[in-house]
Amino acid sequence: MLTPADLVHIHLLLNHFPTVGMIIGVGLFLLGLLNKSEDLKRGAMAVFFAIALISLPTYMSGYSAQKSLRSVPTVSQDVIGFHQRSALFALIFMEAAGVVSWYGLWSSRRRVPVGPRITAAAVLLSVVTIGLMAGAANVGSEIHHPEISSNPEAAISAEGILAPRWLSSEFITRYQYGHPWAWKTLETIHFMGLCLVFGVVLVANLRLLGWMRAAPLEGFHRLLPWGVWGFVANSVTGMLFFIGQAFQYIENPAFHLKMLCILLAGADVLYLTWHEEVWEMEAGATTSALVRVLAASQIVLWIGVIYFGRMLPYIGNAF
Amino acid sequence: MAVLQWIQDLPISAAIAESDSLWWGYAWWLFVHAVGMGLTAGIGFIVCLRLLGVGRQIPLSSLRVLFRLFWFGFYLNLVSGTLLFMTDATGIARVWELYAKLLCLTLALLAMSRLRRFVDSTESDRTIPPAIQKTAVVCLVLWLAVITSGRLIAYAVEARGAVA
Repeated sequence: MLTPADLVHIHLLLNHFPTVGMIIGVGLFLLGLLNKSEDLKRGAMAVFFAIALISLPTYMSGYSAQKSLRSVPTVSQDVIGFHQRSALFALIFMEAAGVVSWYGLWSSRRRVPVGPRITAAAVLLSVVTIGLMAGAANVGSEIHHPEISSNPEAAISAEGILAPRWLSSEFITRYQYGHPWAWKTLETIHFMGLCLVFGVVLVANLRLLGWMRAAPLEGFHRLLPWGVWGFVANSVTGMLFFIGQAFQYIENPAFHLKMLCILLAGADVLYLTWHEEVWEMEAGATTSALVRVLAASQIVLWIGVIYFGRMLPYIGNAF
Repeated sequence: MAVLQWIQDLPISAAIAESDSLWWGYAWWLFVHAVGMGLTAGIGFIVCLRLLGVGRQIPLSSLRVLFRLFWFGFYLNLVSGTLLFMTDATGIARVWELYAKLLCLTLALLAMSRLRRFVDSTESDRTIPPAIQKTAVVCLVLWLAVITSGRLIAYAVEARGAVA
């Protein structure tokens, strides 16, 4: 299993992907807009979706890095708190960009070019994300690269904009302890989201596996956004659990496996959304072997997500 | 109540309650219960959404196989739910949330069987009558209520169970 030191290395490795990836993604998107190339725009949206997935472990592993620096006297805990809040701010915009991009990719099966509102939202969210990420990364480098610190005072003065107080772990933890119903409500929503995600995953992938062959794939394609809304509900509630009680999760092997299942399932989703021809098939059609393997793996992975989620208190230390 | 105590003291109840095994102990049955929840409420959601107009291209007759899967999930949860209840019968029987859940579940099953009868009827590939759409909305709400009351049982037992 992953040791605390592994998790710190993961943070230091992963944290380069979102910033660099988003700059490449926005570049592709703008190029696509200039050349009126739907393929480039779709490619950029796929990049945004992928980076939105990678950003989750990037943010979460930051808590391990924070923990490893807790007893290092030369490191300012204030700077770490600032970095963490600004990273969460960037993460919120990143995830919104990821969801909008998924929706754009999904809708492009029936609607080419992608609608102006989705296009505008994807560009706007990704540009804001890059700005916030650059801010977060800049503060992050203050933590351990003091040699390149040009102007720490300027960085700190941006704190009010880049890192609102209510995004701090302490604020969210205190809210959870002060309002016992908050945790119960979040858990209940998390279970509702689970049912929605699992229902859509099961039904759509069973069709890809050859069940309900009398139905064209088109109808199942229309179900997919409902699964994504369920996933959005569970990402928001899940992140609130994580941010409020990170110590329960960061060194919990069940949590690492749950995240791994989610990322792999996310890669499946990206493949199946990108390959729109899968969903063009008429009633009676059989999908390719690769698609069937992906569909089966998708069902297994989501059962894995439920298993490791349920095991958080039993394999690991969550309550 | 003596009978609840008797259930709780059965060797199988004690074995599950005390087992640390991830494969057949308490944690395992909690996981099975979550998967059964995904199958029942999850498929319930999809059936209701389809009847409300999402994924119109799916013929209603294709939903029949989903009802079979739904009942599979239901029996999975009947077994896992009963076993989970047995591990702490005296504690769980004392919280009203249990009875609220059983009531909502019964109503949800009634709504589901009404939808099932419609899906099985010959005319079911035509437009969906408003009465069925209303049942689908009620059914969705009932599944949300089953999930909510089920989740609250755990918290209620935790809060009030220690008094035993």
